[in-house]
Amino acid sequence: MADLRVNFAGIKAPNPFWLASAPPTNSGYQVQRAFEAGWGGAVWKTLGEPILNVSSRFAGTHFNGQRVVGFNNIELITDRPLEVNLQEIYETKKKFPNHAVIASLMVEPKQEKWHEIVKKVQDVGVDGFELNFGCPHGMAERGMGSASGQVPELVEKQTYWAKEAAKVPVIVKLTPNITDITATAYAAVQGGADAVSMINTINSLAGVDIDTWKTIPNVAGKGAHGGYCGPAVKPIALNMVAECARNPEINVPISGMGGVSTWKDAVEFMLMGAGSIQVCTAAMHHGFSIVEDMVDGLNNYLDDKGIESVAGLIGQSVEKYSDWGHLDLNYKVVARINNDVCINCNKCHIACEDTSHQCIDMLTSENGNAYLEVREEDCVGCNLCSIVCPVDGAISMVEIPNGEPMTWNQRQEAIKLPICNS
Amino acid sequence: MSSYAEFLEEKKKIDELYEKGYTITAVREDLSGAYLTFERSKLDLNDIEEKIELHILTADTRKYFSNLIIAQQKELI
Repeated sequence: MADLRVNFAGIKAPNPFWLASAPPTNSGYQVQRAFEAGWGGAVWKTLGEPILNVSSRFAGTHFNGQRVVGFNNIELITDRPLEVNLQEIYETKKKFPNHAVIASLMVEPKQEKWHEIVKKVQDVGVDGFELNFGCPHGMAERGMGSASGQVPELVEKQTYWAKEAAKVPVIVKLTPNITDITATAYAAVQGGADAVSMINTINSLAGVDIDTWKTIPNVAGKGAHGGYCGPAVKPIALNMVAECARNPEINVPISGMGGVSTWKDAVEFMLMGAGSIQVCTAAMHHGFSIVEDMVDGLNNYLDDKGIESVAGLIGQSVEKYSDWGHLDLNYKVVARINNDVCINCNKCHIACEDTSHQCIDMLTSENGNAYLEVREEDCVGCNLCSIVCPVDGAISMVEIPNGEPMTWNQRQEAIKLPICNS
Repeated sequence: MSSYAEFLEEKKKIDELYEKGYTITAVREDLSGAYLTFERSKLDLNDIEEKIELHILTADTRKYFSNLIIAQQKELI
């Protein structure tokens, strides 16, 4: 059994799986049930001045029979008084002293507001804070959430103000609704953040009902943009975690989230630098018990790899993530079709012929059987055929030896004038 | 013509020049592709064509001549 315990920026938890600040962490009842189910930590639904919510708040994006590939919400932060939340946080922490309870906070960008809420909340014994600079809807219209989180100066200042009053670690949660998340991550570090977390939800409109012409969801016929999350956003989140992890100026731990649904997703985030994992949509879709598979899966994976603890996994793939200019232009893979497995659906041929490099031929053998063959010399190794192929093992991408590596950056340096004549 | 066939044609022209003792001395790239300048030292007084320019169109050939230049520069070091 591997050691799944984590010490994330000084916040200790029995495992790296934490519920993200969201509807699943709205109350003590829910968080305590989550801990009983096996979650290692929870980021309490954002505390701030109690808000008013609308009815009809969520929408799922379904694709090709797969439910909830994406999830959209227009629910705001907690609508309960601070004292009620604090009482429940106190009780939860008392019952589960070894689990991580982190309070998500959001107030106006004023020093006294941050001091007030930080002091009040830390008195009940939270293990850390997460500053919500990411919520994209509702609160942003009031100058909070992602409205602050998109301005590096405000991120830095507010982090600094929270740190002035905080005696426990401060995590800054970042919005993905920005061109370069490393800019705001760096601002958080400059403000004294002990860690950053990402990603919050992405601005979204889940859909439009083509019969009623109303938005999905709609509130009395009207809609407003919400925050998008769930499996569909995982690649976006993973890139943002990786970009921060490989930036030497962002030298604080990263809590990764955005579409994590399985232990495999979690491993990917950890390999790319996440020291803890936050989950929301998968828990909303399947319930708290999904954490059992996550814990078991991670445990077995670490055992199989001979890794003693979660720490041995964190950041192991970061050095493999770089800029395009450092990629080897001479590296070559080509597609190969295994005709023993191929069902001749021709999807690869169509995809290649219509939208890629026209290198898969439809041929007929001497005995009259149709088959597909890749002209390897014309194949650029784009992977499209293997992506659209419905049969596992029918198309392999095979590495072809192709000389010494040469990156774009090396090439550009080499062809600069003048080139010496031997 | 397949792009590989186009590459082979362009590669052949470059290889022939190398066989004749030319090396690439300048590369100019623009929207139309790459223009390579080849030069060689005069072997005898009858040599008149010392500078030749090739217009390269295919991406594979642009990779190919880049590898040649890098190899050429490594030899000089």
